[in-house]
Amino acid sequence: MSPVSITENPFAGDNSGIQKRETIARWALRVGSYIVVFITVAIMLHIFIKGAPVTFQSKWPFVNTQFLTELPATLHVIEDKQGNHYETDVNGADAIKKKLGDNFRAEKTISYSGGGILGPIVGTALLVIVSVGVALFLGVACAIYLSEYAKHGKFLEMVRLAILNLAGVPSVVFGLFGLGAFVLTAPVFVDVPADRSVFAIPLGFTTLSFEGWDTCVLSGGFTLAFVILPVIITASEQCLQAVPQGFRETSMALGATRWQTIRYSVLPFATPGILTSSILGIARAAGETAPIMFTAALAFKDKLPWQKDLPPLPADASIFAHWEQSVSRFLGIFTESVQALPYHIYTLAAKIPQNEYAERAQYGSVFVFLVLVASLAASSVLLRKRLRAKYRW
Amino acid sequence: MSADSAAKTTPPPVVQVRDMDFCYGASKALFDINLEVKYHRVTALIGPSGCGKSTLLRCINRMNDRVPSARVTKGEVLVKGKNIHDADVDLTQLRKQVGMVFQKSNPFPKSIYENVAYGLRIHGEKNKNALDEAVERSLRHAALWDELKDRLSANALALSGGQQQRLCIARAIATLPDVLLMDEPCSALDPISTLKIEELMSQLAREYTIVIVTHNMQQAVRISDFTAFLHLGKLVEFSPTEELFTNPREKLTEAYLRGTFS
Repeated sequence: MSPVSITENPFAGDNSGIQKRETIARWALRVGSYIVVFITVAIMLHIFIKGAPVTFQSKWPFVNTQFLTELPATLHVIEDKQGNHYETDVNGADAIKKKLGDNFRAEKTISYSGGGILGPIVGTALLVIVSVGVALFLGVACAIYLSEYAKHGKFLEMVRLAILNLAGVPSVVFGLFGLGAFVLTAPVFVDVPADRSVFAIPLGFTTLSFEGWDTCVLSGGFTLAFVILPVIITASEQCLQAVPQGFRETSMALGATRWQTIRYSVLPFATPGILTSSILGIARAAGETAPIMFTAALAFKDKLPWQKDLPPLPADASIFAHWEQSVSRFLGIFTESVQALPYHIYTLAAKIPQNEYAERAQYGSVFVFLVLVASLAASSVLLRKRLRAKYRW
Repeated sequence: MSADSAAKTTPPPVVQVRDMDFCYGASKALFDINLEVKYHRVTALIGPSGCGKSTLLRCINRMNDRVPSARVTKGEVLVKGKNIHDADVDLTQLRKQVGMVFQKSNPFPKSIYENVAYGLRIHGEKNKNALDEAVERSLRHAALWDELKDRLSANALALSGGQQQRLCIARAIATLPDVLLMDEPCSALDPISTLKIEELMSQLAREYTIVIVTHNMQQAVRISDFTAFLHLGKLVEFSPTEELFTNPREKLTEAYLRGTFS
């Protein structure tokens, strides 16, 4: 055993290429990650640069209130002989034409690109309210049953498989399902069943007729509810499972029934988590286009769902004096078809001739849509962070 | 009258386990167990890990029902003279009268008050005065009242480990059970908290019957009146604690006490 001479490196790597492969692998993975980040940033920046000028303005109140508070309308663009362009709505067009007189050269109309996007915003909000309400009820009920009551075995596996498959169903299939189930066959109470009724059950004072709800918020909301159901069930089940088993054991050992245990020592600690994850469900429901195409959404509608040609309630009466009518008018909101943001964007992008004026409305809508969905997702993340800190056991 | 006084002099055992076999699915966990637990005495269950101590304990309030496919296959368990597997036994009433304290202290993340009042609330007590009284009484019995009376609305998770376990005891005795089952209540506590709980148990034994599972043989000596030694699902020996520790009848017990195996 002779001592090794100092100049010789005892740790020199062999040249088998291990180091080279290590470097290649690291860079391949790194580049992949960078591409993902780059694409996200590119999309966001593009939408922001093109869309923000439509939504914001340099003058007070800095937000383009017209864009957010008006219904979509046809944009009229009038050109005079000097090449000046005037953008206006249908009423303004005549006035400008009259003023220009002989100076008038040409008029262009661009559908849906004038006014604002209040209609789609309201429609999306209503759809989200209905779908999340339905999905939370069904989803949480299902999650509680699966997590707390169901025995492990074949049936439970089948249900889980069903949920997994439901998550994989293409959204256009949900749309067609909604068309068949809710638009055309869902049951309603009517005095006289319509001809299209699949079948009707007379109940004496009224008739339960399976004639569908027509295209409306309710049909769309229920359809969207099924789209987000897997998300809600899975998230709720995880939240329920995160509640320590010890809480259940203690509660049962004190003589609580299973439902009391769930009600008082499981649900209260799972609810915050269920609600935060359901916000992600909201984002998903707000973003889907295909499920509402056949069930709720219209390309164009010049009225908000509560603007109907109904006689006003008697002036002297308070809301309570005519509560039945008030309630039925309120519920009437949900039996209207609406515009919705994703479908509006689709219309703007695919159904009208493309030019600079259409582009303005497109990017504005997409920007508003993106901001809404992103803020929902962000609030979910923030809320979860805060709740995590609060509930630790 | 005379029958009554005769019953007083020799009260029947509050818990009787007779010739009981217990299975988890196909595997047998307890074999032919016979055990009698006397009123207002502390009975300790000792034995090596996996010998079935906890399973036996959980048979007494049927907590094993939670485990699918776990069941008593032979014999019977009587509490206060009633077979608890009878069809007309209401589990909620059984568990109200047979309280349980678990190995891991697990207060609900609610206020101290709500933790103690939980058992009463789920049994339908709504009267604020009755609840206040029960909470105070239970906390006093658990030797917590003086420490906590000013912060009843504080979150129970803010308490120390020992306090949490005593709170769990207070929660379990709030419904005034006849029997208190304790599943290694001190195994996660430091020596001082353990000492406090042991003191507490000897006080509680005046009003409640205690069955305790413990790994700590010194603890069994210190607190219990009777000790049962289990090994591999069989009850090897059951006698007054002093007798069992000083003069065990069975070779196996002696070997275990000497630490020849564990």
